[in-house]
Order: sequence, then C-alpha cells, then structure tokens
Amino acid sequence: MTITPPATITGPRSDLDIYADAALLDPWPAYRELRDAGPVVFLDRYNMYAATRYDAVTHILRTPEVFPSSEGVMMNDEMNQVLRGNTLCSDGAAHDASRRVIVKPLTPKALRPLQDDIREQARGLVDRLTARGGFDAVTDLAQYLPVTVVSNLVGLPEEGRERMLVWASEMFNCFGPMNDRTRDSFSVLGEMMEYATTQAVPGKLKPGSWAEAIHDAAARGEVAADKCPVMMIDYMGPSLDTTIFAISSAIWLFAHNPDQWDLVREDLSLVPSAINEVLRLEAPIQDFSRSVAADHEIDGVMLPAGSRVITFYGAANRDERHYPDPDRFDVRRNPTDHLGFGAGPHACVGMNLARLEMRALFEALAAKVSRFEIVSEERALHNILRGFTRLDVSVHG
Amino acid sequence: MPKITYHVGEEVVTVDAAPGSTVMLTAVQNDVGGIVAECGGNAMCATCHVYLEDGPVDELPAISVAEEEMLECTVSPRTPASRLSCQLPVTDAVDGLVVRVADEQS
Repeated sequence: MTITPPATITGPRSDLDIYADAALLDPWPAYRELRDAGPVVFLDRYNMYAATRYDAVTHILRTPEVFPSSEGVMMNDEMNQVLRGNTLCSDGAAHDASRRVIVKPLTPKALRPLQDDIREQARGLVDRLTARGGFDAVTDLAQYLPVTVVSNLVGLPEEGRERMLVWASEMFNCFGPMNDRTRDSFSVLGEMMEYATTQAVPGKLKPGSWAEAIHDAAARGEVAADKCPVMMIDYMGPSLDTTIFAISSAIWLFAHNPDQWDLVREDLSLVPSAINEVLRLEAPIQDFSRSVAADHEIDGVMLPAGSRVITFYGAANRDERHYPDPDRFDVRRNPTDHLGFGAGPHACVGMNLARLEMRALFEALAAKVSRFEIVSEERALHNILRGFTRLDVSVHG
Repeated sequence: MPKITYHVGEEVVTVDAAPGSTVMLTAVQNDVGGIVAECGGNAMCATCHVYLEDGPVDELPAISVAEEEMLECTVSPRTPASRLSCQLPVTDAVDGLVVRVADEQS
C-alpha cells in the first residue's frame, strides 16, 4: 500500500528518487537540490513532502500538535500499523507514560555506574585490535560494545540474540517507502515481532534487565500490558545498528581527515564535540516522517491536513542556511544542535548511552592510534540507515 | 525585546532575548558561560541546569515529565528553584527573568 497523495498540491514539487540506490549511497546532491527548491517539497514519486532545511525539520519535530507521531513515523502505511502504540509512535500522555519507562535506565544518573565498565571494555578491545595492526571497523570495532554490553543490559533471552543485528537493520528498512528493500525486509520483521511477543516475556528475560522493567511497569499499571511487545521494539530496534553505523562513520571521517584526528589526539576534551560533528555529517538515521494533522504553512508553503512529511535529518544537518561550510568535518565545531538524534519530544532516548559508548571508544583509540588508513570499504545500501557494512582499516601507532 | 539576567559565579550578565528562543539558547548564543547543553535542548542531559532567582517566574511553563526525569540527574543539587533552561521558552511575558547558572553541569 502506498501513501495517498493530498487532493491539492501547492508549492514546489520534485520527481527526484531519493530512495534510489545511487541517491542512498550519496544523498548530498539530492538533499541540496531539495533544500534549494523550498522549505518543503512534494516528492511526486512517493506522494509525500520532504523537509530538508534545518529550520523546517526542527519546526516539524518540535510541533507535535500539528505533526503527531501516533499515525506513525514511517514512510509506508503497513509499518505505521505494525508499530502503532510504541513510544516512537505515540503522542501526549500516552507517549509520556511509555517514554518514562524506557528512559529510566538511560538517564545520565542511571548510566553513571556503567561508565567505568564501558571504558575498561573499550580500552581492552582497542588494545587487542591495535595489536593486530588492522581490523574491520564494523564487525571488530563498532559492533563490540553494542552487542556485548547493550544487549546484555536489554536482557533478551540468549536464543535469538544473535539475530538482533539482522532484525534491527531489516526493521529500519521497513521504515522506508514501499520499495523492494522494504518489501524484502517485511518477512524478517515478522520474525522480530514474533520474538518480541513470545520470547521477550517475564521468565525468559534476564532478571533486572531493561526489557523486564517494561513488564514490571505494565504490572504496576503504568503502561498497558498489550503494549509490551511494541515497547520491546523501542529497545531492540535502535540500540545496536545506529551506534554501530555512527562508530563506523566516525572511523571513515577520521581516516579521510587525519588533521582532525590529530586535533582530537592532542586534546581529548574535543571528543564530545567530534562525536557531535560525526553525527551531524553522517546521521545514522537519515529520515523519519510525521503525519500532518491540520493545514499548516511552513515558510510560505502549505502542507495540507492528511498528508505526510519526511523529515530528513541528514539533509538538515548539512543546511548551509544553518551551518557555515556544512560539508566540512570540523571537530571543533561542536554542533550540539545537530539533528542526528532528532529533536523535540521524540529526540533519541538512548543518546546518553550512545555518547558514552562512542566517547569510551574514541578516547581509547586516541591513546593508541595515530592514523587510520582505509584498506577497503562497503557502504550499507539501506532505506534509512547510513554507515558501513564493512570498513577494513590498517592502523599506525 | 525581553531581557534575561544570568548569574554565573560572581558575574552578572543581562542580554536581550528573542521571543521563540529558549533561556538555554539565549545563553549559548550570547556566550554566557556555564551552560553545556550537550543534548541540544531536548531535555535529555541535565547540563543546562539553572535556578530561578527573580522576575516573572510564574509565567514559565510547568515542569514536564521529561524535564522532571532529568532534574533528578543534575550534578549541582536540585532545589525547588531548579529548571532546565532548554525547557524555558522566551516570551515577552518573561521580560526581567533572573536565573543563576548551576556551578556544575557534568
């Protein structure tokens, strides 16, 4: 089922195919064209509007009364049905109630006791990998902390955990418009939802884990019991791939910008700023969407009620109207207002954990590695996510 | 334009704030020290902690669920006057607001 177009379309239109293979692998020219065409542009191929300028995207994300999430934030109607009622796809009081449960282990205070362990694991990993002289920045480096530390904290049953990486990636493909990639991923999504419903249940979950806390909250009446499976997706979906892709993109950027890596090595206090700059340039999640609840004008262009608008974080993050010299990787820029984690009530609930993992890894790498050299690379061809499936690097001490 | 006064340590800075902005953004854009705002204004990090000191504090919105969660995570102690400045929108009604920036943010 494709998205139905609005009855009247005013304002700029484009027949760009933003989800074609070539555009997904190198989206920057298309993003620029769309930004220059208008604050929001109707995509004829997909019957949805595209918001690509920084001001338009932040306005949409911070105006949930007009741009709700409860009709779904994906680009096809089937997926918007599947995840109905999870934290990502809810508004107002229902969203507050489930987000409160999900955020509990992810606040700065809750994560503080984990810091030392994550730092130690990061140092151990970096020691082992640098001793080899080279590694795959995806499978050897980036996957390590999310897979060993995070999936343990989430606490899903062991059987099935090895499928988590596949599930998460395929699930995000299903966020796209109804293209072949989305269609192919739907069968795997079924497997993930089945696991969330039948395996991620009390008795099978690790005692004291984050996933179990969802069921505890349901038992106390804080959230509806029938929402537990879709709330599992709040943890299962975004806790792995996004961080993994961000780490791989960071290595790629540092390999291509050795002067910026030198700056970080000379001054470790730049690591948080460098992480923000990586997430600005290479947002791991490039786009979600919102439905339009009421006719609404953005910078002179009318968005009609009932339509859908895609918010392109990756495009907004390179908007020359907001960031000077936006394509330049500058670790001293510290763009804390980037949209790599989204913005507004649905801003990434795991951002503190993601920052902690990345900070631990890059502080450890800065102590050991003077240069990354790319040996070979393979970019992920994905509807939504941006990063690498393989990134072989050699490192110099 | 509404004016907001920030106490940062011994310093007192008064700046013109743009309606539609926030108390956090106004501080950052005017180089008022002491505010980190690591999460970019999304009530996720508790590093833009301020204490309301004086002025039209009743004109500010109530503490939301998300802000409440994060106020439990501040590094400087939380008091009844504690707010996250990213959750304080600038309007004409808050002209004359006085806040003290918490000494420690992260």
